[in-house]
Amino acid sequence: MLEIVVPLSLVIYALSALLTILRMALGPDIPDRILTLDALYVNAIALIILFGVYLGSTAFFEAALLIAMMGFVGTTAVCKYLLRGNIIE
Amino acid sequence: MAYVIGVLFASAVYMMLRRSIVKLVIGLMILSNAANLLIFTVSGMTRGSPPLIPEGLTEPAGVVADPLPQALVLTAIVIAFGVLAFAVVLIHRAYEVVGTDDLDKMKDTDT
Amino acid sequence: MLLSLILLPFIGSLLPLLAAHKGRTVCSWLTAAPPACALLLLLSTAPAVFQGELLTIRWDWIPALGLNIGFRLDGLAFLFALLILAIGLLVILYGHYYLSAKDSHGRFFSLLLLFMGAMMGVVTADNLLLMVVFWELTSLSSFLLIGFWGHRRDARRGARMALTVTGGGGLALLAGVMVIGHIVGSFELSDVLAAGDILREHHLYPVALVLVLLGVFTKSAQFPFHFWLPHAMSAPTPVSAYLHSATMVKAGVFLLARLYPALSGTELWFIMLSLVGLSTMTLGAVVALFKHDLKGLLAYSTISHLGLIVLLFGLDTQLAVVAALFHTVNHATFKASLFMSAGIVDHETGSRDIRLLSGLRHYMPITAALGLIAAAAMAGVPLMNGFLSTEMFLGEAIEQRVLGGWSWLIPAVAVFAKVFSVAYALRFIHSVFFGPKPGPLPKQPHEPPFFMRAPIVILVVLCLAVGMLPALIVGPLLSVAAASTTQTILPQYTLEIWHGFNLPLALSVLAMVLGVFLYSQRHRLFNLWNRLPPLSAPDVFEFILHSILVQGSRRITKLLESGHPQNYLLILFLFTIALAGAALLQLPSLHGGVSMTAIDFPSLAIAMTMIVAALGTAILHRNRLTALLFLSVVGLGVALVFARFSAPDLVLTQLSVEVVSIILLMLILFLLPRQNQRDSSVQRLWRDAVVAGVGGLSLGILTFAILTRPLDSISKFFLAESVSGGGGTNVVNVVLVDFRGFDTFGEITVLAIAAIGIFGLLDGMRLFNPRHLGHHYAKDRHPMLLSVLNMPLLPLALMVSLYIFMRGHNLPGGGFIAGLITAIALILQYLTNGLNWTNERLNDNFHPLVASGVMIAGLTAMGSWFFGMPLLTTAHTHVHLPVLGEIPLATAMVFDLGVYLTVVGATLVILENLGKLKPFTSQPTTEP
Repeated sequence: MLEIVVPLSLVIYALSALLTILRMALGPDIPDRILTLDALYVNAIALIILFGVYLGSTAFFEAALLIAMMGFVGTTAVCKYLLRGNIIE
Repeated sequence: MAYVIGVLFASAVYMMLRRSIVKLVIGLMILSNAANLLIFTVSGMTRGSPPLIPEGLTEPAGVVADPLPQALVLTAIVIAFGVLAFAVVLIHRAYEVVGTDDLDKMKDTDT
Repeated sequence: MLLSLILLPFIGSLLPLLAAHKGRTVCSWLTAAPPACALLLLLSTAPAVFQGELLTIRWDWIPALGLNIGFRLDGLAFLFALLILAIGLLVILYGHYYLSAKDSHGRFFSLLLLFMGAMMGVVTADNLLLMVVFWELTSLSSFLLIGFWGHRRDARRGARMALTVTGGGGLALLAGVMVIGHIVGSFELSDVLAAGDILREHHLYPVALVLVLLGVFTKSAQFPFHFWLPHAMSAPTPVSAYLHSATMVKAGVFLLARLYPALSGTELWFIMLSLVGLSTMTLGAVVALFKHDLKGLLAYSTISHLGLIVLLFGLDTQLAVVAALFHTVNHATFKASLFMSAGIVDHETGSRDIRLLSGLRHYMPITAALGLIAAAAMAGVPLMNGFLSTEMFLGEAIEQRVLGGWSWLIPAVAVFAKVFSVAYALRFIHSVFFGPKPGPLPKQPHEPPFFMRAPIVILVVLCLAVGMLPALIVGPLLSVAAASTTQTILPQYTLEIWHGFNLPLALSVLAMVLGVFLYSQRHRLFNLWNRLPPLSAPDVFEFILHSILVQGSRRITKLLESGHPQNYLLILFLFTIALAGAALLQLPSLHGGVSMTAIDFPSLAIAMTMIVAALGTAILHRNRLTALLFLSVVGLGVALVFARFSAPDLVLTQLSVEVVSIILLMLILFLLPRQNQRDSSVQRLWRDAVVAGVGGLSLGILTFAILTRPLDSISKFFLAESVSGGGGTNVVNVVLVDFRGFDTFGEITVLAIAAIGIFGLLDGMRLFNPRHLGHHYAKDRHPMLLSVLNMPLLPLALMVSLYIFMRGHNLPGGGFIAGLITAIALILQYLTNGLNWTNERLNDNFHPLVASGVMIAGLTAMGSWFFGMPLLTTAHTHVHLPVLGEIPLATAMVFDLGVYLTVVGATLVILENLGKLKPFTSQPTTEP
């Protein structure tokens, strides 16, 4: 079961990453694009975790952890810029 | 992978040839990404076997990815950030002195 | 001992600078000490040298290039070294009184000693390449000395001209030496001197000879390169006395003497030297008579005498060589004293114009007497040293038969030049010191201080002593010098004051009578001279320089340096692409034979994502924020590629750096104002696009070509040694902190320097009022929700970073990554809660952090020294850091801690300082 589901999910998430990037290219607004970036981070987390499951390796889980954290910080920074201009006040 | 590096490099060059300083910086970032990828990929693309040695063994079991380019790229990434930061601040300083971020206008070498 | 002889002046050149503030007297004493010591050392070698011994020392320097540090002291070198040191000492004494209080004593003496050391190097070097190095050093230091009064235009001009001419000659000399080395197979002087026959037979001999002679002629101011010497007279007089009479211009003569056994004895040698020498001698003598400037007169006279010496070498008999060396010594003594006299006149009257000066014997009788004797020596009056060497010269000139039926031409021209030489010597003495008292002068003339005259007294006494007792005083020195010059046994010759009535004496008398007559008719000659079109050497020189060199280079510069940084980049890119492209084109086939890995969909998707993102960045670059977002997608994609191809450490690093970079760019976007869109022209867009496309294409092909070829990696060693040697199972981390720890140390140092550099750049920087057109910002500075949400994140992040740090050695992680995570966690606090809030809770000075990081890493590295192990380890020796024996993990961890601290500190310094910049929104800023 797992050997079918995991590759399938990988493909689906890859597809979704492609679609998100399409959305980012299309826009139309800056907040939209920031959201897509955030969504892309989520996709990346999923891809990495699934990949780890697929390989049976835990070596990449920290990477997922880090994306979760870093992605948040990145999004925060961009939002802050959009809201206030200066991000460190 | 070759395509990816090619495209990355192409857009980096294109961005760096634009007039605005910010674009120069962005181009620089893409360029460093492209270069890192280049170093990384030419060392061979090994899938799914990180250069980790399992507990209790002294040598890795089976074929693993080449650790040396990875180490080099790792420091390269960090250094790239340092260089980028320095370039950015330098540019900002230049902008402040010259009063423009248009590279075409930064002609006078004396200012 | 030989080494200290050469090193003393160089080391001594630091002393005057150090003692400059101690007052002039101390400074001068300290300056005189090293040459005095060197002179004593030199004299102590005299017995050995006079026995005909050859003192040498030698070390290998760059043996692969045939360049060794070697010095030799033989008779010839001894003679010149004696001149350099002895006259140098006298010049220092003279210079002490000559320089005014306004001139920097320390700088002057330092340069003088530097020059002295360089000259010593030239005359004692045992390796031709080494000699060229010192030769260039004399050119450089003489440039500085001539331009000592840099506020004066003529000084700058003269210095520039001297440097251009002698430096150019130095290049020719270097080329000539290379050719000689190529022919002989060695640059060692002893080999070259022994290989004279091989040299003369070789078909490259003319090339070598002409190139070397170019060096000689420029340095010794031979026609047609003589013009720089008169303009070098804008130097302070001690410099003229030293460089342009006694030493530097004699370097060319020295080189002729040094290479005499190797290069002389051919038709070409004779023709070049005798023609150049003859024309220089005549031209110098004639022009000297018409110079109204005392130093100008002396300069042209020097040119004339140098021509005489060169001519003597050209005559190519052994006695001529003796005469040449003899005249070199004599010329140095009388010309230095004449220059010093001229300097005294200039110093005490404020003028050097012969037309203004007259009757100075009433004011300075002693100087007048000294000048008289020196000038008599120059004119070749009997009982003076100049008489003896000119007699020898005339004798040789009569004896030679090299021009066949035209051989009488050489003595005839020599007498002609001598007539003028007598006339200008008379003019120097009679017009300046005799006649009626002068009209109003800039200064009231009087005798100079005793010690300013002392050097002249010494030199003049020497002139007389040599003139009267030649065999006793210079006989042995001359014979040993001449013997080592020709490298053979000299024929019998006598140095005597009286040779009896013979043809040379008759010619001398004739020349003297004619010279006096010429001088009495000088006013007519001057009228004639004045009708000649004025031709200023510097103007001609600069015209040539300007029209050909400067304009040409300017055109090239304009082409390349257009002032558009993009164009520079474009040129660089094009060049790189051309280089890589050329290499690619030579490949027989692109595909190297290794089959490609199959493509799976997720990889493809990642690749596609990145491509779209990269293109998106490029296409949508108008909107900076969008471009940035795409940029972070590219970064994310790179991280995913790293993940896909098994590099977990890289994933972590790439992600953290990505975020830090985004924050950095956000800050920069805020700091740089948005400006109106500027469109480049369509052609330019296309041009750039094509360049970028071609570049990308070639790089892609390159990658493809490499990827499809088999790969041989050196990492097997690292993989095998990681656990047993480095004590860690994460090979990447072990490589970083252990095998290649020195690299890592270098890199954290770079990071630290970058951080400090940024701090320095930002220090005191003010912001313009950012022009964010029509953009309304939210009023809430720090949204409550965000800050509350963030608070628990800090300990969480710190914990993660600690975890990653600790396990770094065995599993993905390590100092770099942990440092970045910590930095980001702290930056997040700045983001959400603001600068003030965070700084209240956190010491905002991160510099100690950076410093301690680098120090910890460095100390850990050096710690191995205490255990007798080499610093860290290198990949070459493979001696691995077994510090503390059984717990190698610990030292590597400490090193990693240093890395960690540096990364945290540097990142925070960079970002926090950027964040600190505040726009001055409240008050209008003025443009600088």
